[in-house]
Order: sequence, then C-alpha cells, then structure tokens
Amino acid sequence: MVNEYFRIVNYGGSLEYYIFELANFSALAFPLLIIYKLGYINTNSLIAWLAIFFSPLVFNYFLFSPGLFGDQFMYARELIAQKSTLDSNQMNSSLWSSGQINSVALSAKVLGLIPLPNFMTVTALAFSNKLILFLTFLWFKRFFKNENEVLLFFLIPSLVLYSSMALRDTLVVVISVIFIINLIRGRALLPIFLLLPLATLKIQMFAILSLYLVAHLIFQAHRGKYLFSLFISILAVIIVMFEETILAIINLYRVAFIAENFVAEGLRSYQAWHLYGPEDIKSLEINSMFEAIYLAVLKLPILLLMPMPWNWSNLFFPLQSLESCLLIYLYFKLSFDNKMYQNSEFILLTFILLIGLSLYALIMANEGTFVRYRFALYYPFLLGLLYIARNSSQDTKIFHQKMPSK
Amino acid sequence: MSFLKNIAFKQKIHLITDFFYDFVLIKRSIYAVGISLLFSFYVLQTSTLQFQISATLKEAGFASEDKNILGSSAAQALLGGSGGAEGDGSFKDFISNMRSYAMAQRMWRQGWGSKIYGNGDLNAEYFNAIPKNHQTSSKIAAFVLGYDLSEFYSAYDLQSYIIRSFKVAKKRSSGTLTVSALKSNKDFTITFMNAVILEADKYAKETLIKKSNEVIASTYKQLATSKNSSISSALGNTINSEYYKIGRLENDMPFLIDIIDPPHSSEYPVQPNIAAIIYSNLIIFFVFSVLLSFVQKHKEDLW
Repeated sequence: MVNEYFRIVNYGGSLEYYIFELANFSALAFPLLIIYKLGYINTNSLIAWLAIFFSPLVFNYFLFSPGLFGDQFMYARELIAQKSTLDSNQMNSSLWSSGQINSVALSAKVLGLIPLPNFMTVTALAFSNKLILFLTFLWFKRFFKNENEVLLFFLIPSLVLYSSMALRDTLVVVISVIFIINLIRGRALLPIFLLLPLATLKIQMFAILSLYLVAHLIFQAHRGKYLFSLFISILAVIIVMFEETILAIINLYRVAFIAENFVAEGLRSYQAWHLYGPEDIKSLEINSMFEAIYLAVLKLPILLLMPMPWNWSNLFFPLQSLESCLLIYLYFKLSFDNKMYQNSEFILLTFILLIGLSLYALIMANEGTFVRYRFALYYPFLLGLLYIARNSSQDTKIFHQKMPSK
Repeated sequence: MSFLKNIAFKQKIHLITDFFYDFVLIKRSIYAVGISLLFSFYVLQTSTLQFQISATLKEAGFASEDKNILGSSAAQALLGGSGGAEGDGSFKDFISNMRSYAMAQRMWRQGWGSKIYGNGDLNAEYFNAIPKNHQTSSKIAAFVLGYDLSEFYSAYDLQSYIIRSFKVAKKRSSGTLTVSALKSNKDFTITFMNAVILEADKYAKETLIKKSNEVIASTYKQLATSKNSSISSALGNTINSEYYKIGRLENDMPFLIDIIDPPHSSEYPVQPNIAAIIYSNLIIFFVFSVLLSFVQKHKEDLW
C-alpha cells in the first residue's frame, strides 16, 4: 500500500472538531478536580487552570485561523503520522537510528506521549502543551509559599497563547525553566541531560544555557564577584580568539533570518531572496566584535519592546507590546524590591539573559518570530529571577558578604 | 523513604474515594452517559459520509532529462534554487499545472463543470449557462462596491473546486506524490481525479511542444542570417535538441509524472469517525456532569 500513509483530516471549525477537542479538555479537567480535592492546588489555581486548559478552544479556528501560526500543521501532521503509521513524515528510519532527530519529529514524539483521548486535529497538541505546563506549575510552585504569585506568572498572555498552539515553544520554555531552577539549586546533573533535547529543539537556547552551565559549574561565577570577573575575562579572551568563527555564525543566522523574511515581486522567503535579494550581502554582515556589541546595544531596546506600534499588523501585536513592557517591569520590580542587584546569582543570571537577548537583537528580522523567540528566552529567566528573589535568604550568597573588607 | 511518609497515602486515598462517591458514582453520571449516546447518534445521523480518494504519483524520468536539455537545472543552480537539486521540479510543475486556470478552462470545455454544477449535459450551450447562486454577503459587497457578479458558473469556479478539493502531499525523502480528496461521491471523484491528473500532464506536454516549435521557428530565422560557423553550429544543435524533445513529447507516455496507484477510494468512509465521536461525547458529557456536581457542591469555595 504505497500511498496509504495517514493524512491529517482537516475538520476545520466543524462540530466534530469541537467534540474531539472538548473531549481533550475534559480529559485534563477531570484530573485537575482530583488534584484540587487532594489539596495540591488552591481554588484560584483550579479556576485559572480550568480556563487555561480551555484556552486552545478559544484561539485556533475561533479567534483566528490556525494558518496564522502555520507551523502547527507540520507538528500535527508529524504526530498523527507517528501515531497512525509508526513512521515519520519528517525523517526516514536511518536518521532515527543514527540519532539525528529533527526538531519537529522530536517535539511530536514528546507531545504524543501525553495520554489524551484524541489526536485528531491540529489543536490536540495544544492540550499536550497545557498538561506539560501544568505539571511544571505543580513542580515549580512547591518552592514558594505564595501559590497565587506563581499562578500569576503562568497567566502571562504570551504563555497562554503559545501553549494553546501546536508548537514546540512550550517544550522549550519548560525545559529551560527546569534547567535554570535546577542549576540555581545547585543540581547540575539534570540540566546536563536537558541540554540534549534542547540542542535539537532550539539550538539558540542550547548555546545560551550551555554558557550558563559552564559559568555555574566550571567557573562558579554565581559565588562571588571575583569568580564572576574571572568568567567574564576568560569569556572575553575566548571571544577574541574565536572572533571570526563567532561572527561567521552570527552573520549566517543574520542573513538567513533576513532572507526568510524577504518579500519581493509576489515571492516570499528564500525563493524571493535567491531572485531579488541584495547583490551586496557583505553589507549586511558584521565585521568585528566591537561592531556586534555596538549593534546589539542599539537593537536591544527594540527587541525588548517589540512589536513597535508602526509594525502592528494584527490584533495580538498591541497586546504583545503591552506585555513586553509588563515583562520588563516585572524583571525590574523583582530585582529592586528584593535588592537583587547585590546578589551574585542574580548578576550571573541577568548577564546570561543579556547575552542571549543581544544575540537575538543581532539576528532579529521578523517581528512575529522574534516576539516568540524573545519570550521563550526571557520567560525562563524571569522565573529563575522569581525563584532567586523568593529564596535568596536561604540558598544564595550576597555579593558584599564575599567582599574581603567584610 | 521519608518523603513517602509525607504523602499520607491513607488520607489521599480516602479523599479520592470520597471524590468518586460524591461526584462520579452518582445517578447524574448515568444520565450523562445516556445523553451522550443520544447526542452521538444525532451527530452521526446528521454527518455526511466522506471517503478518502487518493492516487500515488512518481516523478517521470523524461521530465528531468528534458530539463537538462533545456538547461533549466543549471539555471536553477546558478540562481540557488533548490527545485532541480531535490528532484521535485516536475512535481512542482505538475502541481502548478493542476491548479492553473488554463487547466481549469480545458476541463471546463470537456464538460466537467456540467457534471459538478449541473446535470451532466455535455452541450456547451447548457454548461456555459448554469445559473450561479451567490451568498448574500457577496451580493451586498457587489452592490456596495459597484461590480457585477457572474450569473453563470465558469472555469474560475472549476479552478477553485480543484484547488479546494484535491490536496497534494509529497512525503519527504519518499519521492512519491499523493493526490487525495475527501468526498461523499466516490465514483465521480475517482473519475474526475483521474481526468485532472492526465489533463495536467497533457497540458504540460502541449505547452512544451508549442514552446519547442516556437524555439525552432525563431532559431531557423537566426540560422538564415548567421554568417559565423560556430554560431550556426550552436543554433543547429538547439534545433536538433528541440526536435528531439518534440519527438519525446509526442506520444502517449506520461511526461511529468508516472501513475503508481491510479485514483481509488477507501473501502470505508473516513468521516465521520464513529468510534471517536462516541467516546469523545462520552468523555465530554461524563466530565461535564462531574464538573456540574462539583461546582454545585463547592459553590461557596469557588466564589
């Protein structure tokens, strides 16, 4: 049967679609009631999570077409192919056996492990995302006395939106949160293992969090300002030594993202770039590390505040713009209210976040894509800061305590 | 195992048992199951049966050979295009042809529009005058903006029907292309899909033959005025290769694609999925009955 590989049936926004997806919602709502009854969550969490579990039904087909986030179909098709034929649309068997797993195939594999009644439509994967997010909430909230405060951080609109899509962003965020919190708690083994899936799911996050792991584990840069200074010095030396290689990678991504976003003569993306892209690609490239730092400093505020009003092209952009400001405000509020600027763990965390954001600032092109990328990077660090802020008295060292004069 | 002691298993089991007795094992749950079965029956009765009709195609060897003669693969390589390199260039041509307006016009002239929108009469006078009903929103838009709506069905409608109905998917690294559709009228769809595939291929061949004839005619003109022997020789080679191409195209063999599996239908309807609908409704009604009981009992806490 050559042609009998499974094809996702497009139920659109039909009655059958809502039946299948309401069944998935019900399958999440039922254990939620039991968890509440067992006292693991409070009433606010119960109500909020019922709403969060319901949210996938509000976005795809209802508020907007799933085509707005077209990648969803790729993940859904892959998951349904894996479940129905035990085969992949994305990879052949030799790639599986050689371990070169494609990010779509891996995401679909992980999301498919969640025992939901139906994987019939594109939205089913969103319910998998929701359950993974809820389990993360259950794990994360046990480090805090105030459950409601933690709940508010799980009600951030972008988190609700991206976890309501059949995308891999929730997986990236959850893995990054677990990575950062465990590293801050001084448990390095799990973060090392978590780097493996992260390398496949999001190579940028892998690079940024690897740097954090090295700073934490090898340089112990979270223990005091001298160790932190040593880490920065060695990092600077390495950057100077491998300047060309680093710039080549940055330039590759920079041009690739510009090409991906390129539109000309009715053509889009790489196809348009090949035909109508600028002749002098060299002019887009960064030639020195100083230029890179200068550009990053200039573009960082834009990345943090985007989407800018003149780029608003759909309903979500103004909301995301407001949310950008809220997220920055939260970071500053947590930092200043708890005098975090004196905390060496906070300084390292913020330094790594700034490096990550600077890299994104250098390669950013498409608003929608980079709002998503920024969130997937920023949010885990924000939760990391929340953890440090609320646990700083027990776990972390204060800068001035380490000063020789004291 | 001190953390196990902290879990207080006995208390938790007691709480879960209470939960089941209070909200699950009650009369309302039985009613919910009954209503869900009735609702499923209603959904199934009102659903339209849809069969999966599909055909599997393979890229024909001729197309890529002829591309090399034309040198388009080299041009693509120069431009950095990936179509030729991945070997799915003729698939792309096939899909473009299949979805084109020119192709829809050819199908329309053969009377397929009459079979889809009318009574199947192949008389052109009939199928060019099948009245078309427009949605109220379209009528309002036409009135407000001041343009005329087409009174009759045309090749445009047939083109959108083909685009809407036939999904084309290429499985990565398999080298085959699947054309598929979900339709209730399986016999008609099989015949129509077959006709669309063959006509798209035929259209590609005819276009290339026409193009080759034009190239030959213009090259002969150049040859008559050319005085340079090397240019004359190059022009002669071009004419030869174009004649060769016409020779390859003027036969009944497929050009862009080979048909591995001709259009055929699934034995059973793909939609509605009876089992999925019944158990989904069971879950929905059951959990919503539990939720209702839960909210009623915990009204005070929840508010």
